[in-house]
Amino acid sequence: MGRRRQRVDPAAGARAGALPEAIAALSRSLPSGPSPEIFRRAKFDRPEATSALWQLLFRVLSPLPAGNALASLALEVQARLVKSALCSQGYPRLALAQLPEDGSQGSRELLLALSWLLARGPVPEQMLAQARVPLGDEMTVCQCEALASPGPPAPHMEAEGPVDVRHVQWLMGKLRFRWRQLVSSQQEQCALLSKIHLYTRGCHSDQSLSHLSVTEAEMLRDPEGGQQLLRTLERENQRLEAVLAWRRSELVFWRWMDTVLGTCAPEVPAAASQPTFLPWVPERGGGELDLAVRELQALEEELQEAVERRRVAWEAKAGGCGRGPEWSAARRASREAVEKELGALQQCWERDGGPAQPHGPHRLVRREDGAAGDRDLRAAVVIRTLRSQEACLEAVLRRLQGQCRQELARLVGALPGLIWIPPPGR
Amino acid sequence: MSIVTVQLGQCGNQIGFEVFDALLSDSHSSQGLCSMRENEAYQASCKERFFSEEENGVPIARAVLVDMEPKVINQTLSKAAQSGQWKYGQHACFCQKQGSGNNWAYGYSVHGPRHEESIMNIIRKEVEKCDSFSGFFIIMSMAGGTGSGLGAFVTQNLEDQYSNSLKMNQIIWPYGTGEVIVQNYNSILTLSHLYRSSDALLLHENDAIHKICAKLMNIKQISFSDINQVLAHQLGSVFQPTYSAESSFHYRRNPLEGFKDPALYTSWLKPVNAFNVWKTQRAFSKYEKSAVLVSNSQFLVKPLDMIVGKAWNMFASKAYIHQYTKFGIEEEDFLDSFTSLEQVVASYCNL
Repeated sequence: MGRRRQRVDPAAGARAGALPEAIAALSRSLPSGPSPEIFRRAKFDRPEATSALWQLLFRVLSPLPAGNALASLALEVQARLVKSALCSQGYPRLALAQLPEDGSQGSRELLLALSWLLARGPVPEQMLAQARVPLGDEMTVCQCEALASPGPPAPHMEAEGPVDVRHVQWLMGKLRFRWRQLVSSQQEQCALLSKIHLYTRGCHSDQSLSHLSVTEAEMLRDPEGGQQLLRTLERENQRLEAVLAWRRSELVFWRWMDTVLGTCAPEVPAAASQPTFLPWVPERGGGELDLAVRELQALEEELQEAVERRRVAWEAKAGGCGRGPEWSAARRASREAVEKELGALQQCWERDGGPAQPHGPHRLVRREDGAAGDRDLRAAVVIRTLRSQEACLEAVLRRLQGQCRQELARLVGALPGLIWIPPPGR
Repeated sequence: MSIVTVQLGQCGNQIGFEVFDALLSDSHSSQGLCSMRENEAYQASCKERFFSEEENGVPIARAVLVDMEPKVINQTLSKAAQSGQWKYGQHACFCQKQGSGNNWAYGYSVHGPRHEESIMNIIRKEVEKCDSFSGFFIIMSMAGGTGSGLGAFVTQNLEDQYSNSLKMNQIIWPYGTGEVIVQNYNSILTLSHLYRSSDALLLHENDAIHKICAKLMNIKQISFSDINQVLAHQLGSVFQPTYSAESSFHYRRNPLEGFKDPALYTSWLKPVNAFNVWKTQRAFSKYEKSAVLVSNSQFLVKPLDMIVGKAWNMFASKAYIHQYTKFGIEEEDFLDSFTSLEQVVASYCNL
């Protein structure tokens, strides 16, 4: 494992410490980023750098903000989640999927994966935004989450046996109760926020804000908590500065990553249908193996035919409800229909609702004089927009309910001798 | 989390008084059999739920009293004030001069719309006084005129205006051999309307409570006041604050374990989902140990079926229908009510 001769480009990173500084800045800007030494070892594919990089990738890719529960997952589990997340984001290199999950090797590949993510989007900034400490009372007004498309399909769960509709009704009732409890709690929260804002008028040093938020009021009441908040803010500041330093010096990093890529063997472009885990078949006993393979294939074909026959017979009996290729085609069609509806709904909102709502959280400020700055949103405007969106949604709901009723009536009409009593309208 | 109580009619107001009285005297009782901190937490929680504070310290019940005649309301108000421990709010009642003669249709179609605004205003003021409002508790009888017809109307209004709050109706099931001839009509109309607008119906049968008074408590001359007090005692123990989730530190044999027998439950809901236990350390009303069971079971099928049967028999011969159609309750409304209740009976039978 001799030292490789690197081609030093005199123009890049002319200053001796530029590269370590850049990597250190990157590392500080990420949550629990590994030391520059880990990065260096990863370039040479040293095994000891592997687990730190798995963990870093896991932190970057997990959808939820980090909590203790996530950090305590075993390395294998984290590694598997990283693989599947990268795969669904379209990571092009096959080598990653083939890495062992115990952290024994593959640090260079993981370094490449990390830089692929960094090149695609502003990862340090996104992670910072996820973990930021809001000082004011905030809420979001844009409806991005509400209109987000369904996302990757959940693993298909076949119902075990027939589902009792009464159980479903019971669950619906429970869900309704929880929903109403949520709404009442939110109303209570709003009433309390309003009181706090009202009672603390004139307490804020910033004239444009004038009153305190809950966090600020709490800080005044509990000095120890205030100290803690201060420490959290200082840490956040440090990360912000690290992000700025990273952005200033990242060119050095990219030039170095080119050399890392150069040390890898050239890869065959990924096949269209990428198998995630390829079995490792030892290459020996060729003749017997061929025979076994042929027999297995023949058996598989026989089984498939038998399954197909049974499925057809069953579907003929059960009318194909819940299972079978017709059903999955129907489900696919309905999913596409839903996505189309969501798109149409969004257009309707954009058309009727006035100016599009800006993204991200906004701080709530109560003002007596009604003066608003350029970038401020007035509550009345937001409320009006939300009401028109609500009206759109209600119209869609009524239309869909009408369709359901018609469909039910049609189904019932097909059964002679059945009297259809719809429930009292609500 | 505060609850606003709506007391409707003679029945609702009398019971309501007993309930508040029972709640407050339990809260003040000295023998809590628990630590002082425990006791204070309990008292604070009970107070917050059912009473609001006033400057001179006398708690005011979070209640709205509604009746078409002033007699019962005045009695209720003065009894509360006399106790010195608590009272009703000054502007918390609504009453008129005339009664409604036990005519459900009159209560629902005439009194309701006519006084809707005033009644809802009083309720709204009471709700606004609550810091954190959790829902309504509506006390009424099933078979009467004002309490029932107006109660059904008011509950419907509450559903429209406060659709996100929980509403529980406490209904008094009349004696089987009641005095009012049309009580079965009133009952089915009340039930079917409430079924649509309320979230939970808590039923108490006069017959059952009467038996409790006679056999368990050995009261010779059973008055409505006795009945109401038993009722209030039961309700009080349901409503008092309990622990939310965690079990106690000490090992305690749970006498309620026996209720987890699956045979008691429906096939489609596991006992762990259907059965909830709420515990509290603090004793209720000087009892060392007490338990209250609130169940949603087939128990009510027989009484319900009986009432529906009797009402149907009367309806088949169109007896007394004109009293209802006179005020806007048509035969079709009756038929709707029968249908809803038959569906209820059917779904309970098919558990």
